[in-house]
Amino acid sequence: MELLLQLLVSGILVGSIYALVALGWTLIYKSSGVLNLAMGELTLVGAYVCLSLYNNWGVPFPVAVLGSLVMGAILGLLVERLVLRPLIGKPVLTVIMVTVGLSFLLRGLVGLIWGTDTVVFDPPVFPAEPIRIGPLIISPVFLGGFVASLILLAFFVWFFQGTRWGLAMQATADDQMAALSLGVSAKLVYAIAWAIAFMAAGVGGIFLGSINGLNISVGHLGLLVLPAVVLGGLNSVPGAIAGGLIIGVLQNLTGGYLDGFIPGGIKDIFPLAFMAVILLFKPYGLWGWVKIERV
Amino acid sequence: MFRLPAGTYFQSYRQAHSFWPTRFMAFRMIFLLIVLFAVVPFTFSNYALSIANRIGYTILAAMGVQLLIGFTGQLTLGHAAFVAVGAYVSAIFTLTAADNASFSPFWGFLTQTGMAYPLSILLACLIAGLWSVLFGLPSARVKGFGIILTTMAAQFITVDFVIAQYVSQIGGRGHYFSIPPGSLKIGGWALTGDRDAYFLMLILVTGVTVAMINWKRTRPGRAWIAIRDNDIAAEILGVDIVRYKLLAYFAAGMLAGLAGSFWITSLFFVSPEHFVWSNSLWWVGVILIGGVGAVDGTIFGAIFLELMLVLVNSFAVANILFLYFKDIAFGLAVILFLLYEPNGLSYRWWQVKNYFYLWPFSYK
Repeated sequence: MELLLQLLVSGILVGSIYALVALGWTLIYKSSGVLNLAMGELTLVGAYVCLSLYNNWGVPFPVAVLGSLVMGAILGLLVERLVLRPLIGKPVLTVIMVTVGLSFLLRGLVGLIWGTDTVVFDPPVFPAEPIRIGPLIISPVFLGGFVASLILLAFFVWFFQGTRWGLAMQATADDQMAALSLGVSAKLVYAIAWAIAFMAAGVGGIFLGSINGLNISVGHLGLLVLPAVVLGGLNSVPGAIAGGLIIGVLQNLTGGYLDGFIPGGIKDIFPLAFMAVILLFKPYGLWGWVKIERV
Repeated sequence: MFRLPAGTYFQSYRQAHSFWPTRFMAFRMIFLLIVLFAVVPFTFSNYALSIANRIGYTILAAMGVQLLIGFTGQLTLGHAAFVAVGAYVSAIFTLTAADNASFSPFWGFLTQTGMAYPLSILLACLIAGLWSVLFGLPSARVKGFGIILTTMAAQFITVDFVIAQYVSQIGGRGHYFSIPPGSLKIGGWALTGDRDAYFLMLILVTGVTVAMINWKRTRPGRAWIAIRDNDIAAEILGVDIVRYKLLAYFAAGMLAGLAGSFWITSLFFVSPEHFVWSNSLWWVGVILIGGVGAVDGTIFGAIFLELMLVLVNSFAVANILFLYFKDIAFGLAVILFLLYEPNGLSYRWWQVKNYFYLWPFSYK
């Protein structure tokens, strides 16, 4: 029972980070219809920017996170302008593969600039001593990630529902033609979506990278948002958040219970396998829009 | 479709359906084959031949991707999984028991049979095809992004889990399956060097290319193209889309198995690291750069990307960061091709050919 509780809690804590990255993914898909496979590399870029600011320049951690947000926004705008905008209206394969090309490019650049070694935040941001709440043992890193994700999630949801730009994004997602005729600038909407995705992924990467140190393989953790968004339904913001939490919990539960029976890293592949099975039964995810196709 | 040289007309359906419609085209292709079979292997260095083998392997593997994406419209990002299945099946059945075979925890009695290499190729094709159908099953219900994620799941489940953790234990060889030189034989022909592998590669590539071109003209091929262009319309017209999609997965898996079981001739050992996810993405890049849906495009794309790799390699030789230059070059190539030449190299080749065919009357 205690093990179950422990796994659930740490699952939710990690899942909140996935939820944040998944939110960024969903915003891009909702507003511009781009299926982004470069999410893992977006997390890497943000994490490494923050780490360099913190380690090499001695900037305090919150300011470093802020710096990585700013850098993420700039990169997001650049990527949207240079790579994605010329491809508006092109076939799905083209748009997906351009994000794959982007992911290779970013991974190569990250490797060139920051090398292959695993690096850690030095001096450590979070104390190594775990926090004990009754029978539960919680690492401060997870807690920090959880709090930061909650703050950013709240901020992005407020942005999406309460501000003028957020409403423009919702309108574009709903009906692009109608939004355009009402004077919404689709270009602005796409740019904001990419900036937000880079920012969310970057913050996710910072916390994923401070769990076990930061190296290229953290990018693979960023890929776990794909099961999360599919589970939630591709174009649902609450779905992305719920999907991220569910994937985090599932990953921890399989790591805790199944690993003894089927050894060898089932924790890493279970979300993907689970998603493949879910797709068979609910092709549009839990809260996605059911698309009725016509000839 | 190609345009005919100025002044050439078809007078019968037989002519119009022929593989090489004009004598010049037949001559050109036969000349190319003679050069490839008889001149290249005896004049080029071993290094050049090993590059040719890499190109051939990329062509074989990318043909399966071309069949799925270019013909059937089923996006796949996990083709390396099926190539890995082919390579492992072929290696496991061809190798005889290792010296320390007393420790063999899994199905040791079934494998280590020392099966003839050609038979193991057939078996590899079959098993890789069936494995591919297993992961193609969701395509009956989902399309587009869902299929991409299923094939990604295939990649990680097959290579990072089943093969790395379980299959690698067969025979107690440890993580790697080393392939002693001379253990792969076709009859009395031992495939030991790059030159032997080159001949096998050329035979396989020629066969697969001819098969791919002809598949487009058969009933399944036309059904695949109908599904790619509009699956709902195809279903209304009476194409059994589930059956033909699964057939496409089977055929692509078989091509992957062929590629994998060929590639062990050029490897000293088989390991899961040969078949990581970026290989799958690389092969999709090959068909994008070559041209989606064009069989010759697969060949152009493979040549382009592998030669680019050789070029990057020569600049950054003995540099640990080589891997990253490779990633950057590939990423840039894919992005630039999609932005500026979305039809790929095969379209450029088509334009060049037409310019000369129609010369001097090159208006359309």
